[in-house]
Amino acid sequence: MRLVSWNWFWFVLIGFVMGGGFVYLRGKLKEMDLKFVWYEWGLTIVGFLLFMFMGQTFVASFAEFQPRAAWMSLVFIGLPVVLIGAVVYRSVQKRIV
Amino acid sequence: MEKPKPRKTHYHSTVNRRSFMKMLGFGAGAVGLGASTVHAAGFKDLDEMKSSPLANRNLPWWVREVDEPTVKIDWDNMQVFPGPFNTLFNPASWPDKGDYFKIHARNIQSTTKNVQENVPGLSLKDRALADAECWGWGALSGIEPSWTGPDVKAYPKWEHPTMFYTPEQYGVPKYEGTPEENTQMLRVAGRILGAADIGVVKLDDRTKKLLWGHIRFENVEKGYEDKKTHTKVLPNKDLWAVCSVIPQSNWMNKFTERMAWASSNTAAYSRANIYSHRLNVFLHGLGYQHYGGGTEHVGRLVGFGVMAGLAEYGRAGIMVSPQYGTGIRTTLVTITDLPLAVTKPIDAGITDFCRVCKKCAEMCPSGAISMADEPFWGGEKPWQAKGIKGWYLDSQKCYAHMLGGEPDCSRCQTVCPFTKFDEAVMHDLIRISIAKAPVLNGLIRKMDDVFGYGKEPDLSKTPWDMDPMDIPLFGLDQSRS
Repeated sequence: MRLVSWNWFWFVLIGFVMGGGFVYLRGKLKEMDLKFVWYEWGLTIVGFLLFMFMGQTFVASFAEFQPRAAWMSLVFIGLPVVLIGAVVYRSVQKRIV
Repeated sequence: MEKPKPRKTHYHSTVNRRSFMKMLGFGAGAVGLGASTVHAAGFKDLDEMKSSPLANRNLPWWVREVDEPTVKIDWDNMQVFPGPFNTLFNPASWPDKGDYFKIHARNIQSTTKNVQENVPGLSLKDRALADAECWGWGALSGIEPSWTGPDVKAYPKWEHPTMFYTPEQYGVPKYEGTPEENTQMLRVAGRILGAADIGVVKLDDRTKKLLWGHIRFENVEKGYEDKKTHTKVLPNKDLWAVCSVIPQSNWMNKFTERMAWASSNTAAYSRANIYSHRLNVFLHGLGYQHYGGGTEHVGRLVGFGVMAGLAEYGRAGIMVSPQYGTGIRTTLVTITDLPLAVTKPIDAGITDFCRVCKKCAEMCPSGAISMADEPFWGGEKPWQAKGIKGWYLDSQKCYAHMLGGEPDCSRCQTVCPFTKFDEAVMHDLIRISIAKAPVLNGLIRKMDDVFGYGKEPDLSKTPWDMDPMDIPLFGLDQSRS
């Protein structure tokens, strides 16, 4: 019997990570005197949403007694996230050089 | 003293989300309250706490297990109570029997007054639902209700003296609403009484063909059953089929083929028949006729379910619902003269998906499910009926496998890509894709395999090893209810 639902904890944690991540990214960009162009922001947002989707699928699949589905979600959803991250990184890095 | 067994909460090889949450909760409590928490619970250290019988029961950490209850008991002078006949439910237990009957009469008077004055929450439909919810079990007249429903005459000897009252007994007309209002009312009542969803089919020249052949219509006020000829009669008037979805447990399905107790389909039949009694009592309380209600009484259940828009017709010859997949045990059909608004059939791309998927047919242990690409006009076998272009199940093979051994089989249901828990958002996206972009159906089927759906779970640790509180009540996980 779970008298207290802990679902709120995840929302708070995700909120902190999102807020903290955004503030860190803004600070880092300012510090490096860098500005994201529009498509870099777009790709970052898409990558972030995909990352969230991957996390939800991963956790939910264990709750559904489907460990293989959980790991496969890392491969099939996580790979595009890595690719998008690499594209954004390379795009920004080019301007630094 | 025997040392308590360690906790066994690891049903999977990996900690599931619930366990993870609980661990987080425990961690937060320990960090927040420090050593005082451990002291308050009466344990010397965490190891002692974890190995206590309390931990086995998985009580919250802040609930202590004590040797004596918190109420004082004098065991030396404890009297033995004679039994329920000495409770105040028996008029003879009252110092003055008259008091009991005064209360009894007051109850009838006030209940009747509230019904007559249509007091919100205490009106005729509320009383009917209360009787169905509270006394549905009291209507049990056998394993299944009779054709005309259970005999639920008023039973004014208990603490609710208006039990099973009809509108006539309350002195009010039968419940009246528009067909739309009545359908909405039934859907609300259905959720409360045990149906996951409700659809409605009007009995007309077409849909009467879905009734069993031994049911006939006569110009009578009320239907009846002729037990000598095994004929069931319905009155020749406007009638509707209330089609109630009785869901199966997805959680239990995982073990159906290997553990005798985990027969998710028979467990659902059990719930279906209790539900049918309740629905009958509800309709009775509204002042309307009700027929059938037993899981096999009325007609072709898949046919009624499809016509009511509760599901589409799938390859295995069973219903496939957009919400419940094949995790539906039955459409429990109850015939009534309560005017209802019909619900239309649905198209969620399911039958189209069945064309390319074939997973149930590939994995059926008896080979009873057709592998044909396209549905076909069948129905030649004695246990079939013609008239549907679908994939006809070879029931002889299915029954020979399923009924010829123990435990039961529900593999076609378990492996169906539509039968999923509702935790992952991805399943909804897949369902939308199947409905709106059928070109991806082949890929979806392949990915269903790659992701490992439909495979049997590891049984090295069975539900017998689970934390009982992790087992869904009635086996009905959230996504099935």
